[in-house]
Amino acid sequence: MNRHFINRQKIGYKLTLMVFLIAISSLIGYLFRYMGFPETNIVIVYLLAVLISAWIIDSFLLGIVASILSTLTFNYLFTKPYFTLSVHDSSYMITFIIMTITSFITSSLTSLAKKNELIAKEKEMETKSLYSLTNQLTDVDDIHDIASVVVKALSDCLSTRAAMLCFDQEGNPESSFIQQASIDAQVRRQIYDIDEIKRRMEELRTSHDEWGEFYDWPIYGRESILGIIRIPSEDAKNMNETHTHLLHSMLESTALAMDHIRVSEQRIKDREETVQERYRSTLLKSISHDLRTPLAGIMGSSEMLLDMTEKEDSRYILAESIYNDAKWLHSLVENILSLTRLQEGKLIIKKQIEVVEEVIGSALDRFLLRTGEREIVVNIPEEPLMVPMDGRLIEQVLFNLLDNAYKHTRYDDEISICVERDEVSKIAKFVVSNNGTSIPSEDLPHLFEQFYTTEGTNGHAKTGIGLGLSICYAIIKAHNGSITINNLTDEQGVEVTFTLPLEDYENE
Amino acid sequence: MNNYNINILVVEDDHRISRFICYTLSQEGYKYKSAGNAQNALGILVSEQMDLMLLDLGLPDFDGMEVIKKVREWSEIPIIVISARDQDKEKAAALDLGADDFLTKPFSTTELMARIRVAMRHMKMNASINKNPILSTGDLKIDLEKHLVFLSNHELRVTPMEYNLLALFLKNIGKVLTTGYIIQEIWGKGYGNDTQALRTLMTGLRRKIEYNPAKPKYIITEIGVGYRMKDY
Repeated sequence: MNRHFINRQKIGYKLTLMVFLIAISSLIGYLFRYMGFPETNIVIVYLLAVLISAWIIDSFLLGIVASILSTLTFNYLFTKPYFTLSVHDSSYMITFIIMTITSFITSSLTSLAKKNELIAKEKEMETKSLYSLTNQLTDVDDIHDIASVVVKALSDCLSTRAAMLCFDQEGNPESSFIQQASIDAQVRRQIYDIDEIKRRMEELRTSHDEWGEFYDWPIYGRESILGIIRIPSEDAKNMNETHTHLLHSMLESTALAMDHIRVSEQRIKDREETVQERYRSTLLKSISHDLRTPLAGIMGSSEMLLDMTEKEDSRYILAESIYNDAKWLHSLVENILSLTRLQEGKLIIKKQIEVVEEVIGSALDRFLLRTGEREIVVNIPEEPLMVPMDGRLIEQVLFNLLDNAYKHTRYDDEISICVERDEVSKIAKFVVSNNGTSIPSEDLPHLFEQFYTTEGTNGHAKTGIGLGLSICYAIIKAHNGSITINNLTDEQGVEVTFTLPLEDYENE
Repeated sequence: MNNYNINILVVEDDHRISRFICYTLSQEGYKYKSAGNAQNALGILVSEQMDLMLLDLGLPDFDGMEVIKKVREWSEIPIIVISARDQDKEKAAALDLGADDFLTKPFSTTELMARIRVAMRHMKMNASINKNPILSTGDLKIDLEKHLVFLSNHELRVTPMEYNLLALFLKNIGKVLTTGYIIQEIWGKGYGNDTQALRTLMTGLRRKIEYNPAKPKYIITEIGVGYRMKDY
């Protein structure tokens, strides 16, 4: 309604102006006739009036009206008989026709030029504001500074109070957005329906979302939505094509700038993480190395003491506990070393085709060296089984599982290793089981967590710091395998099952 | 064996370990010298008659590898390398450079003594190998002259390749042979480093000589390094 009203007012004003211009031309015409100039000059003056009115009035239709009106006025005032629309001299007809056509062409050319000028002006404004936006965006090094710059630029261009909501790294909307409050003031506003906004943006199939106080335009980055540009609904409704176009261009520059910042932020973060990770593992490694040497000394010396002492001697037990503790510390150090090797990243996994029996044999050899004679039942397929793996790490897994079994069994309980080849799912399945104490069901889900230890275990159990199984878990995961732990159902005991893929997909 | 005539050089920069090794050696009746760095070790080797060297790879002045290389230029003295567990590459490299065996830290004194005995025996055997063509460990026996293999006194049928492999192991009882070395010895120098063929050959041989290949009695796998024929 409002708009129509304005238009009507404008047309009235334009008409008045046109009539005024033609009246002035008529006055000049009278002046010319009084001074005895030829009539041709009067025609020229009318043409000028049409030209000026076309320029000012800026309307094709009114231009035609002006040309016809001026011809009629010329006819009425300056051709005999005066003050009538009829003519005596028929040659005037030609004058009228040419005059009408000339003024018609003039007016349409003028309005076309006017239109082009307007388009050029709009283009220029668009380019200018885009250029200044891009310029400002290059100096910015924070997502929220971008929001601030974009909001200001948009508000200036569209003369509105634009707002922008940033999304975080995980692609979730932040809890507040920034809005232009006046020419040079911005406010931060709380958002209460984050999930709703996220949902709407994800389900959005058009360029923008019309909802509530704002129209929302999502800013699409390379991978996800980076944020939302919000234009107050009443202003958004009145946007013309140029404005929409400008908005889209700005969205694009904003997306580019935000992506750029996200990437460089990620790069800095990655670099920091790598440095930290390297520092941490170097530290752990050197600690472990420095631990090994004195441990070797303690183990060796206490073993010497054991050899030198009679079993009945009370000092024998002391020496023995020193030796056992050192042995326990040693296995801990080895586990920590494996863990650091793993956490340095996947590159450390050096997969090679290994023969399963060799790895089991090696683990058993190490295990028996540590625990002394102990019967372990081993079942492997008759056909040699070759599996791509980091042999040293899988050996560590088997060793840890055997060690756990050893800790939770009495001497005459059975410990067994069984390996099968599963042709269907292309995996090798390893089962390490024992007939020792079962695990309380509430502990089962947590056993692969780091530093988780069970309470109240007996037998050889020694307070561990719960690294063994979590290392197994990490190693198997790094091999793209799976690992589970269960209590045996038909008898007392525990079984750990892990699988390794028979084909190495990563190398293909 | 009379240990009193055997001189052992202990090259270890950590005093605690050095002390307990030396103490163990003296308990077993060996004579020993100790050196805290490579310079001293080389000095002792040049000036005195040594029969065996225990060498820690992490020395303060030289890399242990350099020491092995230098010593091997003029001496065949058995070298037992002492190293940490995760240094597979170094171990294999040390063995390929001419070290005879390795011990992983921490090790037990019994293990250490066993290795020393193996190394000494190996050296003596090398000297007398031409005289005695029959080599054995446990129930496994090989007749190098007649090209026959016996397990518990029964003749064992093996392929020529398996025979070569077995002969190589029995000539080096107790010693770790790196995969690279074995491949070179069995297939020749030009063969490259294809471990797959060796693994296949090894699994085949294991199925003939071992009761349970996953619990080997004779050929022990040293993951990442190579194999060792156990000494019984």
